[in-house]
Amino acid sequence: MYDAKTQPLASLRNIHKAYGNLKVLSGIDLDMSPGERVVVIGPSGGGKSTLLRIMMGLEQITEGSIEFEGQPYITALNGKTRIDANVRKKMGMVFQHYTLFPHLSILNNLMLAAVKTRGMARAEARDKAMQLLARLGLEDKAGAYPSHLSGGQKQRVAIARALMLDPQLMLFDEVTSALDPELVAEVEQVMLELAEQRLPMMIVTHDMWFARNIASRVIFCAGGVVVEDGPPEQVLGDPLNPRTREFIQRVFHIHG
Amino acid sequence: MEYDLQFHYVKQAWPHLMEGLWVTLQLTFAANVIALTLGFGIALLVMSRHWFVRAPFALLIEFFRCTPVLVQVIWFFYCVPILFGVYLDPMPMGILALGLNLACFNAEAYRAAIQAVPREQMDAGVALGFSPVQRVVYIVFPHALRAALPVLITNGITLFQQSALVALVAIGDLMYMGKQVATETYRPIETFTTVALIYFAVSFPVARLAALVERRLDVARV
Ligand SMILES: Nc1ncnc2c1ncn2[C@@H]1O[C@H](COP(=O)(O)OP(=O)(O)O)[C@@H](O)[C@H]1O
Ligand SMILES: [Mg+2]
Repeated sequence: MYDAKTQPLASLRNIHKAYGNLKVLSGIDLDMSPGERVVVIGPSGGGKSTLLRIMMGLEQITEGSIEFEGQPYITALNGKTRIDANVRKKMGMVFQHYTLFPHLSILNNLMLAAVKTRGMARAEARDKAMQLLARLGLEDKAGAYPSHLSGGQKQRVAIARALMLDPQLMLFDEVTSALDPELVAEVEQVMLELAEQRLPMMIVTHDMWFARNIASRVIFCAGGVVVEDGPPEQVLGDPLNPRTREFIQRVFHIHG
Repeated sequence: MEYDLQFHYVKQAWPHLMEGLWVTLQLTFAANVIALTLGFGIALLVMSRHWFVRAPFALLIEFFRCTPVLVQVIWFFYCVPILFGVYLDPMPMGILALGLNLACFNAEAYRAAIQAVPREQMDAGVALGFSPVQRVVYIVFPHALRAALPVLITNGITLFQQSALVALVAIGDLMYMGKQVATETYRPIETFTTVALIYFAVSFPVARLAALVERRLDVARV
């Protein structure tokens, strides 16, 4: 049985990932405990998305293994990646680009997976979806289609859709990067509320202000390895590693 | 050229022509139902990872696309019973021949549309826990259907017109009835003109509809 007090929620061991000859991750080790909100920062192309996609079971790995809640989740064996689909159901993910199903109403976007992959009764799924939409101030959009929503609304719906399935870990890959600046806050606000409820999260973001507010831990990833790992005050405020320091200075310089 | 157009014979034969149109419509409808579903299946098979699954269906598509429909219809009527021992009434045989033909054309339309399904949609499907089959049913198919719809409708109309070929194998469709009426009344010009106008009257609005659908989908695209 999984004991949240003593065992890590997720533990990644020696994760290697290559696309052909391109080595993207070269031995990532990471233990994440249940209450944590890990923000992953790093230069573009540094493998942040790849790391989250691996966690979601969307990518093969070349080497390494992941346990989740003490259970084997992903293992690389003889060039094959085994992913336990039942463990995968404990993750939820929101992507940078809108991934709502354009042919379904907002309500049906929320209900589909709950009904089809979790066997929830339709009435129950509908109630739950409406509650979530109400919580996000989107109940009047239940019947609308994704194309009629603003980018910020779509991303909030995408979060709600993932929450429908009660994930034990939420993965956010630059969910505000494609948004107009004035729509960023409404999405970040939702994520901050989830943080208050202590939902474990792994977040990739370039918004350092937001990172500082939401993170309980920040990881700086570059060149396929974890360069620095610590509390936000340290990694974002006073990094130990010169590469982190250089990166932080650069982004803070750009973003003010 | 002196010719005294007399449409009143055609008027008398009108019920016959309508009877033929009804058969043509049934034929078109049934063939489209087969082709819209089977075509999607063939598209998936032809995109299979395994060449031994891909190859026969790729061949099937090319066979139907690269031979005249007229030959296909006749081949079905004369060769299928002998080669495969399948004896069907003319109507089901006509539906099968035209349905398979259309399925192969629709498969090509679906294939292009399936390839255009955004990768992010599939990622979302995995992240939400859908099985591979569920992803096809709930994500790929709706996307592909929408993207392919204008072509599917156009293919459907083309088939409606090409179905006139089954008159050759004695199915009582619009063309067949037209030939009969023309022979009995000695009024081929009036009859065939009327038949042509009936085909046009059905095809044209549907073609306009396809154009409308295409524009609508462009607007609604996310
Ligand atoms: N599907 C793919 N095929 C080939 N290379 C890829 C693929 N996805 C990502 N990459 C490459 O892997 C590297 C890491 O990408 P990514 O994880 O997206 O970085 P980040 O999210 O940190 O910007 C990049 O060089 C990128 O070009
Ligand atoms: Mg990325």
